[in-house]
Amino acid sequence: MDWIKIWTFFFFLSLALFACLSVVVTIGGFFNIRSLFKDLSAARQKAERSQVGDDGQNR
Amino acid sequence: MDIDFTSLGFETNFSILDWCIVIGYLITVVGIGVYIRKYIASATDFMVAGRGLKTFLAIATMIGTELGLVTVMYSSQKGFTGGFAAFHIAFAAAIVTLFVGISGFIVVPLRRLKVMTIPEFYEMRFGKDIRILGGIILALSGILNMGMFLKAGSLFVTGVTGMTSEVHLKIVMTVLLCMVLLYTTLGGMVSVAILDYIQFVVLSFSLLFASVMSIRYLGWDNIIDTVTREMGQSGFNPFDKAGFGWTYVLWMFFMGLVSCAVWQTAVIRACSAKSTGIVRRIYMLSSVGFLIRFLIPYFFGICALVFIANNATLKDVFLSADGKANSDLSLTAMPFYLSQILPAGFIGIISAGMLAAFMSTHDSYLLCWSSVLTQDVVAPWFKKGLSSKARLLLTRIFIVAIGIFILIWSLWYPLSQDLWDYMAISGSVYSIGGFALLAFGLYWKRASRAGAYLALTCGFFALFGLPEVQYKLGSLFHPVQRLLGFTKEIPIEKLTDGMCLVKEVLPGDEIAMIYLIPSAIIGLIVLALAIVLMIVGSLLLPDKKGRSTLMKQRSNLDGLD
Repeated sequence: MDWIKIWTFFFFLSLALFACLSVVVTIGGFFNIRSLFKDLSAARQKAERSQVGDDGQNR
Repeated sequence: MDIDFTSLGFETNFSILDWCIVIGYLITVVGIGVYIRKYIASATDFMVAGRGLKTFLAIATMIGTELGLVTVMYSSQKGFTGGFAAFHIAFAAAIVTLFVGISGFIVVPLRRLKVMTIPEFYEMRFGKDIRILGGIILALSGILNMGMFLKAGSLFVTGVTGMTSEVHLKIVMTVLLCMVLLYTTLGGMVSVAILDYIQFVVLSFSLLFASVMSIRYLGWDNIIDTVTREMGQSGFNPFDKAGFGWTYVLWMFFMGLVSCAVWQTAVIRACSAKSTGIVRRIYMLSSVGFLIRFLIPYFFGICALVFIANNATLKDVFLSADGKANSDLSLTAMPFYLSQILPAGFIGIISAGMLAAFMSTHDSYLLCWSSVLTQDVVAPWFKKGLSSKARLLLTRIFIVAIGIFILIWSLWYPLSQDLWDYMAISGSVYSIGGFALLAFGLYWKRASRAGAYLALTCGFFALFGLPEVQYKLGSLFHPVQRLLGFTKEIPIEKLTDGMCLVKEVLPGDEIAMIYLIPSAIIGLIVLALAIVLMIVGSLLLPDKKGRSTLMKQRSNLDGLD
C-alpha cells in the first residue's frame, strides 16, 4: 500500500472540502445568528410579560 | 527548557502590529460576550442557548469549540512526533462523526429526551444516584482533562511571540483566563455560540491560508522526502510497529466516537440544536470539521519537523541524536515554526484566532463542567429543586473555581507523554463508563443500575494509562508490565524509582529501556472490561422496575427500542 499517495490525496481533498464548508458556514451562520437574537428577544419579552420561570411555575 | 532562539539567530516575525491585532481582537470578542448578557433570561438560555441553534451556527460552534488552541497544540505535537501516520487519527474522527450523523447513534435519542447534560439521562434511565455519581466522574474527568490547557496555551504564546520570560508568560495567561471567566460567567451559551462563530471564521480561513503558505515555503516534495529520511515507513504507515501500531489505531476510532457522541462538550451542541434533523445534519457536516481540526495542525507539526530537521542548529535543539523528538520541546515546535515563516500582520491574525480559540475552548469547557456540577451533582440533592437564579449563580461560582484549579494544575503537573495521550486517557475516566451507559442505556432494555455502577467506576482504571501512575505504583505494577512486555526508551536522566528496567543500565549508557504499558492498550482493556461489567452486572442484578417512565414520556418511545 502506497501510504504517501494515500495521505497526499487525503490531505488535499480535505483542504478543498474544508474551504467549501468554511464559506457555506460563514454565510449561513451569519443569518442563523440574526435569527437566534430575534428568537431570544421574543422569548425574553414573553417571559417578562408572563413572569413564568424555567420550571413552569408562576412566581 | 527555556531556550533563547534569538541568540541562535532565529528572530520571531511577531511585531508590534501583531500585538495590536491580538489585543484589539480579544477586547472586541470579550465586549461582544458581555453585551450579549442582556439576551439571557433563563438557565436554559445560559446553558443551551434556549435550544435555538440552527444548522450553520451549530456547526460553527461545534467546530469552533473543538478546534481550540489546545487541539492545535496537541495535534501539531502528534504530527511532529508521528509524521503523516498521525493523519489516521483525523481520518478516524471524520469517519466516526459521519457515522454518528447518518445513524443518529446516541445523539439523536439524547436530543429527543431534551436533556441538558448526559448525567440527566443517567437519572432518567438508571436513577438519581447514578446521575450524581456520573456527574461527579464526568466533571472530575473533564476538569482533569482540561488541566493542561493553560500550559499548552502558554507554550503557544511563548513560541510564537519569542518571549522567554516566565513571569511575562504567567501574567499573559492569567489575564487571558480572567477574560474568559468574565464573559463566560456573564454570557453563557449564547455568548459562547457567537464567539465560536467569530472564531470559526477567523481561524478556518487563516489555517487554510497558513497551510498554503507552508506548502509554498517548504515544498511538498521536500516535506515528503524529509519525513521519509527522518522517520522511514513509520512516518506514513499508521500500522507500523515502530510508529503507532494497530492497537493505537483502534483506540483512536473509539476516541473519535467519544469526541463527537459521548463527550459532554460535543453532546451539549446536539442538545442545543433545534430539532433531531438538525442534529444529524450538524454531525454529517461537522465530520469535515472534525477531520480538519486534527489534519491541519498535524500538517503544521510535520512542517515544523521538516523546518527543524533541515537546519543543523535547530535539529540539535529539538531532536535527539537518534532523530527522535525531544518530548519537552515538541509542543513548542509548531508555534516556533509559524513565527519563522508567517509574515508580520498575518501572524497577528492567526495568533488572535488561536488565542480566541483558546478562550473559546475554555469557555465551552468551563460552562460545560460547571453546568454538570450544578445540574447533576448539586441540584438533585434539593427536593424542591433549585430556582433558575440559584442555578445561574451556582454555575458561575463553579466556573471561577474550576478556572482557579486549572491555573494551579497547569503549573504543577509534570507532563511526560504526548499531550493528546494525556487528554485521551484522562478523559477516558469518564468516557469509557459513559459510553457503556449511553450505548447500553439507550439501546438495551435490560441494562440495569448494577451494570451502570460497575461500568462507571471501572473507568477509573484508565488512569493506569498515565505513565506517572504506573511509576507511582512501582513494583505493584511491574509483574503486569513484564507480562504484557511493552517497552520504551527514555534518557538516563529521566529514570525514577518506580520504573521497571528491561535490562540493567551500564556506565556510559545514554538511553535506558523500561517496561511501560501504552495508554492505548490500557484504554482498550478498560473499555472491554466496562462493556463486560455492564452486561454481566445487568444480567445478574436486573432492575426490579422497567425503565423510567419519565424517559418514556420525554422520548415518546421513539427510536429507543
